[in-house]
Amino acid sequence: MDKGTLIQFAGSVAAVGVLVALSAWARIAKPVGPLTAERARDLLMLEFARTVDAVWVSTDGRGAIGRSGVLALVIYQVGDGYVTRHMPWTNAVAATLRDGRLRLELGDPGAPCAVLAMEAWPPNELAA
Amino acid sequence: MKPDFDPVALAIPFFVLAIVLEIVLARMGRAKANYEVRDTAASLALGLGSNVAGLLIGGLTFAAAVWAYEHRLFTIPMTSVWVWGLLFLAEDLTYYWFHRISHERRFWWAAHVNHHSSQHYNLSTALRQTWTGGVSGTWLLWLPLSFLGFPPAMVAIQKGISLVYQFWIHTEAIGKMPAWFEAVFNTPSHHRVHHARNPRYLDRNYAGVLIVWDRLFGTFEPERAQEPCRYGLVKNIASFNPLRVAFHEWAGIAADLRRARSPREAVGYLFGRPGWSPDGSRETSLDIRARWEAAQPAAPEPPADFAGRVTP
Repeated sequence: MDKGTLIQFAGSVAAVGVLVALSAWARIAKPVGPLTAERARDLLMLEFARTVDAVWVSTDGRGAIGRSGVLALVIYQVGDGYVTRHMPWTNAVAATLRDGRLRLELGDPGAPCAVLAMEAWPPNELAA
Repeated sequence: MKPDFDPVALAIPFFVLAIVLEIVLARMGRAKANYEVRDTAASLALGLGSNVAGLLIGGLTFAAAVWAYEHRLFTIPMTSVWVWGLLFLAEDLTYYWFHRISHERRFWWAAHVNHHSSQHYNLSTALRQTWTGGVSGTWLLWLPLSFLGFPPAMVAIQKGISLVYQFWIHTEAIGKMPAWFEAVFNTPSHHRVHHARNPRYLDRNYAGVLIVWDRLFGTFEPERAQEPCRYGLVKNIASFNPLRVAFHEWAGIAADLRRARSPREAVGYLFGRPGWSPDGSRETSLDIRARWEAAQPAAPEPPADFAGRVTP
């Protein structure tokens, strides 16, 4: 790597630092409030274009699980956006809840697992 | 190896100033833009990494272009204005097909997906560039230009000019350009559609500089005020880690190849449309669009005239 390229690269690294700091200062991320059951249902229907039979929202409002027939529709917050995946409902029900955290294995390199804060799982109405 | 005149390197200070301006104007409420800190950091880190990847493979790609040029069909002078005009059109057409194949075939999508992995659409997104484009071999598409007789340095400069042009269109701060401009050139509005994951907008507007290629090849879709763009991927990535962003689709391909039960399945996983699966259990963009279209309410019957003929 010649000297000019090295200087250019160092300058670029410095510029990246400045821009990241500036974006932190600006506080202009998208506003994301906690999910409600209604909002979660709307988002899941928009994402999956499927009817949603029931929705369970995490205790912190940062994610939710919807049931659509044999599928579990999972949505959870990452940054100021949401990530969604679907999985077999039976797999979702079998997921383990530990210390109030439900870990759902999604089996996708782009989203390997979702961790949702839940008081109980499977939902009380289904566990009964 | 790069030509002495590198439009991209020269434009870097402009890129930085433009991002500063977009952030400050958005902070002041004078422009529409959202920046999330980790998303911004990931975009810029991917831009830096792309530069490094370009340096690593740049010698090979330039040497290949020189080799093609040594076997050229014609000798084209670099000094004529018409030659630059011709190269502009030829390079932009090449870019259209490069971009289209990068979306419609999974092997090249794996190299391009990181550019679309942000749920934001701002000037930093423009710099969220590929790390694996060189390895995927898409640069081969530009070799015919040198084989035709365009000097490799000239092609490299034109590619740089195209890349610099495409920076400013990654913004929500600009609404629509004048109608004549929207008709001919790629614009923020057209490119917002390209980055959107709404079913209507999937796999549309592949243009580099001239939107006319999309109009010509049937991939044009205008931005509709009643349907705001939702940015990102059909399956958004749950990470800001540049390594995961750059390589997650390659990892997905590797996992699928391990489970392939026949050469045909392996070829499908590699070169089928993104989302292809042997049993159809996953969805390609065509499937998503078809499902969405089927769910749309039927268009009202066109009115009939007095003679009972249906008028368009």
